Amino acid sequence: MKLKYLLFACILFVCFSCGEKKSDKVIIGVSMLSMQNEFIQQVADALEKSAATSQVELIIVDAERSSLKQVEQVESFISQQVDAIILNPCEFEASSPAVDKAKKAGIPIVNVNSSTKSKPDAFVGSDDAESANMAMELIAKKLGGKGNIVMIQGYMGQAAQLDRERGAKIVLAKYPGLKLLATQTGEWDRAKSMALMENWIQSYGDQIQAVFAQNDEMGLGAVQALMDAKKKQQVYVVSVDGIKDAKKSVTQGNLDATIIQNAGQQGSEALRLALELVQKKPLKESNMLIPFEIFVK
Amino acid sequence: MKELKAFFTKTPTGGIFLALILVCALFSSMTSRFLTPTNISVILNQVSVNAILAFGVTFVIIAGGIDLSLGSLVAVCGVVVALLSQNNEYSLWLAIIGTLIAGIALGALNGIIVVLTKVPPFIVTLGTMTIGRGVALILSKGRPISDLNESLNFLGNGDLFGIPIPILFLVLSYATCHILLTKTIFGRYVKAIGGNEMASYVAGVRVNRIKLYVYMISGLFAALAGILLTARINTGQPNAGLGFELDAIAAVIIGGTSTRGGKGTITGTLLGVLFIGVINNGLDLINVSAYWQQVIMGGIIILAVVLDGLYQKLKMNI
Repeated sequence: MKLKYLLFACILFVCFSCGEKKSDKVIIGVSMLSMQNEFIQQVADALEKSAATSQVELIIVDAERSSLKQVEQVESFISQQVDAIILNPCEFEASSPAVDKAKKAGIPIVNVNSSTKSKPDAFVGSDDAESANMAMELIAKKLGGKGNIVMIQGYMGQAAQLDRERGAKIVLAKYPGLKLLATQTGEWDRAKSMALMENWIQSYGDQIQAVFAQNDEMGLGAVQALMDAKKKQQVYVVSVDGIKDAKKSVTQGNLDATIIQNAGQQGSEALRLALELVQKKPLKESNMLIPFEIFVK
Repeated sequence: MKELKAFFTKTPTGGIFLALILVCALFSSMTSRFLTPTNISVILNQVSVNAILAFGVTFVIIAGGIDLSLGSLVAVCGVVVALLSQNNEYSLWLAIIGTLIAGIALGALNGIIVVLTKVPPFIVTLGTMTIGRGVALILSKGRPISDLNESLNFLGNGDLFGIPIPILFLVLSYATCHILLTKTIFGRYVKAIGGNEMASYVAGVRVNRIKLYVYMISGLFAALAGILLTARINTGQPNAGLGFELDAIAAVIIGGTSTRGGKGTITGTLLGVLFIGVINNGLDLINVSAYWQQVIMGGIIILAVVLDGLYQKLKMNI
């Protein structure tokens, strides 16, 4: 009796394994940091667009900022036997096991936008420190190397926050005349950063000459607070990312500048590199940095 | 003097009032920028969203329930009002009324599930919290909604007779909720079912109906908070309001409302909201680092509630 069940199970198993035929299309699994973030969504859009033109099937999943979830998603990509994986890591250390597992399974993996401790087969992104560096240089130029700045930080401890902070500090060290009056987190959030700016206007009044916000959402919050207090004319505000709202605000003359991180190019290059890895072509460069652009009126 | 002593010893909010005065004194001794008319206006402006949320959920908590879906409701309603007032398609009033109705309907959904299924409200609203966040993302396609009606921006950042409009909403909501809770039969029923649901039922209180109403009130005020938040930042953000439910519930509890239901006041909630708002503002003014702000905030909240407990005990002995 038992044997019969066992036999039945074996037949079932064989049937299912046969049924799982691999299609001719290249399948690439994509795990994104968070689809609630406009910038990340732009990267995902670009991935989808270039996948459509190059006949690639994408499986895009959202890790919702959890590196644990991200590792699990990559594990399921491995068991689905995808041809390549594109990873937009949640965290530098904690997402590393995802890269290790893919490499061990022999599936090519490309990191996009941010990096992990374990080295993937290829990386496409931008150097976060550089964007902050460019933003601060703009401020330094505007103030003539002398003046008071406040900095609105991203979510404390995240790679982007740490790198952007590092980039900003390099410029601050270069110009001893620039004084960092205060720094505080706005948690990447427009409303939080607006409240923070309102508080700073109270405590520093007219001393603030420039604001560096570590992303556009927070830059826009600061601009709103300054406009309400009728102080925008005296304060120079620069932020990083180049999201749609920020560009519009720059054209309207409210936000002074944003540093554009090219989401479209990051997405399309990541897909191109992943495809080349699938086709086993030798890569010209496995560490691809997309340059930033300054967007001013 | 006698009245003052009576205020501290008779009213349940005396403890938190004392704590509020204490932190205000502390901050004004540390910076001269704290106790200025404009900074007070800034604080009131900043707490308006949390206050309005907290007033609404005070009814739910007094009735013995809880509403964890507040933050998500703020996001959904914020997105709805943004969509309705985008590109001047509809008049502002229509957008606002539509959003308020949406808030009441979502609150009613919470209430209906709680009443019909008898599943603990903690679980029901935890579920609707997740659903709400998803709905906000679906409606907005995951992106901030901008290009809003100019007059909506005025609601969030303009002023009337020199008073910022969010503060007017705060005052109006306070008055409405305070009267509703203390001067109406409905208010008495809310306290009754929170105190002893079975006894109220036996005494002829329509328990289910009152429960449904309190969730609808919570939804209505969440919608109002969502409208104000969207107006203040001039965009509808699907990820707005994350964690707002915790701030609102914390304010209610700090304000002396019992977590077991049955008693509580809107004035207490207002003081709880101000307490949190003053600490947030003060820590920014004296420029405490972001890491320490969280530690200090948590510490002060626990301390305030502990002190309030001791104070209540002391009061019994007077």
